[in-house]
Amino acid sequence: MSKKARKKATEPQPELKPLATPEPAQYNFFFLPQDIDAQPADERDLHDLMKLWRHGRATKSIWQAISDGYVALFSLVVLGAMVGNVIYEAQGSQAGCESTACLTAKTLLPTATTFACWGLSLAVSGLFGPILASAAEGSWLMAAPVSRRILLRGRLIAPVVLAGVISFAVTCLVGGLSGLSWALAAVAGGGAGVGAAALMALAGAVQSTERTRLIRTVQAACSFAAVAVLALVVCVAAGWLSVPLPEPAQLGIAQVAAMVVGAVGLVAAMGVALRRLDDIRSARLLSGGSLVAGMQGAMFALDFGLVRDILVERNAVKKGYVRSTQGRGLGVMALIWRDFERLFRSPKQFIPLLVSLFVPYAADALGAGQLNPFLSGMALMIAIIPFMGSLRVLSRTGGLARSFPFATTALRTALMAVPTALALVWAAAATPAFVGISSAGVERPVPLAVMASLAVALAGMLAGVRWVTAKKVDFNAPMMATESGAVPPTLIFNIFRGFDVVAVVTAPLILNWGPSWSLGLAALVFVLVRGTFNMDDMKAQSEQLKREQEEAKARTAQPKKRRAPVRTGR
Amino acid sequence: MAKKEPVLSVTDLKKSFGPVVIVSGFSLTVYPGEAVALTGRNGAGKSTILRCIIGADHPDSGQVLVDSVPVLETDPRIRKSVATVIDDLDFFPDLSVVEHLDLLARAHGIPDSDDAVDEVLREVQLVPQSGQLPGTLSSGQRRRLALATAFVRPRTLLVLDEPEQRLDTEGVEWLTQRLIAERDRGLAIVFASHEPALVERVATKVINLKGAMYESGDEQESA
Repeated sequence: MSKKARKKATEPQPELKPLATPEPAQYNFFFLPQDIDAQPADERDLHDLMKLWRHGRATKSIWQAISDGYVALFSLVVLGAMVGNVIYEAQGSQAGCESTACLTAKTLLPTATTFACWGLSLAVSGLFGPILASAAEGSWLMAAPVSRRILLRGRLIAPVVLAGVISFAVTCLVGGLSGLSWALAAVAGGGAGVGAAALMALAGAVQSTERTRLIRTVQAACSFAAVAVLALVVCVAAGWLSVPLPEPAQLGIAQVAAMVVGAVGLVAAMGVALRRLDDIRSARLLSGGSLVAGMQGAMFALDFGLVRDILVERNAVKKGYVRSTQGRGLGVMALIWRDFERLFRSPKQFIPLLVSLFVPYAADALGAGQLNPFLSGMALMIAIIPFMGSLRVLSRTGGLARSFPFATTALRTALMAVPTALALVWAAAATPAFVGISSAGVERPVPLAVMASLAVALAGMLAGVRWVTAKKVDFNAPMMATESGAVPPTLIFNIFRGFDVVAVVTAPLILNWGPSWSLGLAALVFVLVRGTFNMDDMKAQSEQLKREQEEAKARTAQPKKRRAPVRTGR
Repeated sequence: MAKKEPVLSVTDLKKSFGPVVIVSGFSLTVYPGEAVALTGRNGAGKSTILRCIIGADHPDSGQVLVDSVPVLETDPRIRKSVATVIDDLDFFPDLSVVEHLDLLARAHGIPDSDDAVDEVLREVQLVPQSGQLPGTLSSGQRRRLALATAFVRPRTLLVLDEPEQRLDTEGVEWLTQRLIAERDRGLAIVFASHEPALVERVATKVINLKGAMYESGDEQESA
């Protein structure tokens, strides 16, 4: 006990008195209807008030923010000009190309992109709403006796406009890069944009009915059409199919027709959606809002793994229940068996894997054979990540991994078994693309093509492993000084996780050094990603060793105590 | 009679966060059949000690041995011996409740895992939820599942951080009975708790932690 505390304890304690009973508080206002003459709130005023509060909290004007961020703005302008120039040059060189591959790409790739944009717009609308409200709005405004139509009108218009603009830009870009004239590319983009906006408005119109079958059917049809057109591009370019292709101008007319139909659909769907805004349940609005909030948080930390985790968790909650099955095997075999069983539990995840198989064929057929290993590796990485759910869960927090009686290397190796098997099947199926299916691509002898395909498959798989085992950004670690302030290094490196593996492993193939180098690099990456050199463990072991050495040093440094002379009393 | 070897031996543990010393000079020895309860107000260092014991946090100084092996979270020998329920337990979003338990039992090499899984599932009263995915469970049910993952596998040391959290009265009573039975069967238990009845009935030794202090302070208040 400290001196102060001891002193306090010895001081005479004041005599305790019973607490006086407090006077009952007088409340004159209970928010009963008769207490006030309540007037219906004006939604527009509420909205303006919220806007005023938000603006009131701002400490900088937009121009001040821009002038503060002049370096970022300058970089953006320079980069934009560079990218624009590259796109312009690429369009110019592609426009003059008259080979079958180029003609197929010009005619069909914008169409495939259009369908893909439509499918993606509907997928996003299903995920978020498309109309949503934040938790705060749910608490303060949705419960109030106000018309939601005015409050939510902006929430409908925003996703419709966004879907339209993004679809327009992407399709226009793909059209231009495929070799279409910019005018025709703009027409193609316009068709895609108006169509996507109309579909988004349709999703908004059916949101209140909570019947998702129509939207899901249209989404599946659009996705299927996109894949089918992409397959057609590959088949025609490779010379496996001979289809009379329409002239780009004819395609332009079709796109204009799509634009007109889309515009009519957009007006009709918007009308219905606006009328039904009042009928959407609060829970439905808030669900999208909470998802956006969670994803925003993850995006601020550039934690894409967390973004995916949120989506996976949301799907699991939506599913809720599964028919449980008995496991098989003991030890690590039990883990491998569960991973194998998962393949059949979610067969939908095979679709991206199958689509990724088109990439090596499309790249070869369309004359991008030199970049084929990198593009295919990237596509496989994205497609194989859904098969690494267990690895992700056992990497993100230590709790569950601690429950399994295996070393981290053994655990990771076991969880890589099923994705590796899938990658090997993918490699076998993609081998013809690396042999060379068209005159436009790179030709290789069969043994080298088998090795190249295997190297690309391993690159994609290992990149997936690196991506899912990413650790959270450590804001306690030493920061890097940048123009934007202090930034944790992991924040930057997390953006490139996975991509770096694909780039390193496929670099020898792109540089024509031969696939043996790529396979060697893949083996090296495997040793690293399975956690052979676990930095945390090594750090802990070295710290422990250091502590023991210091303690031993301290013991030896202590002066030997002299034995006190024995007093005999003599 | 042969002298029992300690299951857990903590010597002179120190852990601080910046200038704040959370634990200093903490030592503890736990033998089979002993249950040690860590008590104290919020921030007293209970969870920090438990995290150091299981290797989730590295102490600034001191040593933690489990079955005479220095604790390293990723060491399979430690993972085999120590069952933990602390706040960082995660679940597979696409595996049902019963599949989690089945997987853990099999991973630990239990040949007839069905019986063990069924028994634990009944005990934690999650039979009706056995097919549910973890995301749909209530917080109390998730806690029961977390406790079940510790009981469905072999262990020599059980480390629990406020195991009574989010359990209903009936659940706390079940947990108390279960921990008493585990202790009497020779398992070593270290747990932190704010539930006086649980501590009183289960613990063979209670350590009341007094709290953190600044490094510059002249007095260490941890018990």
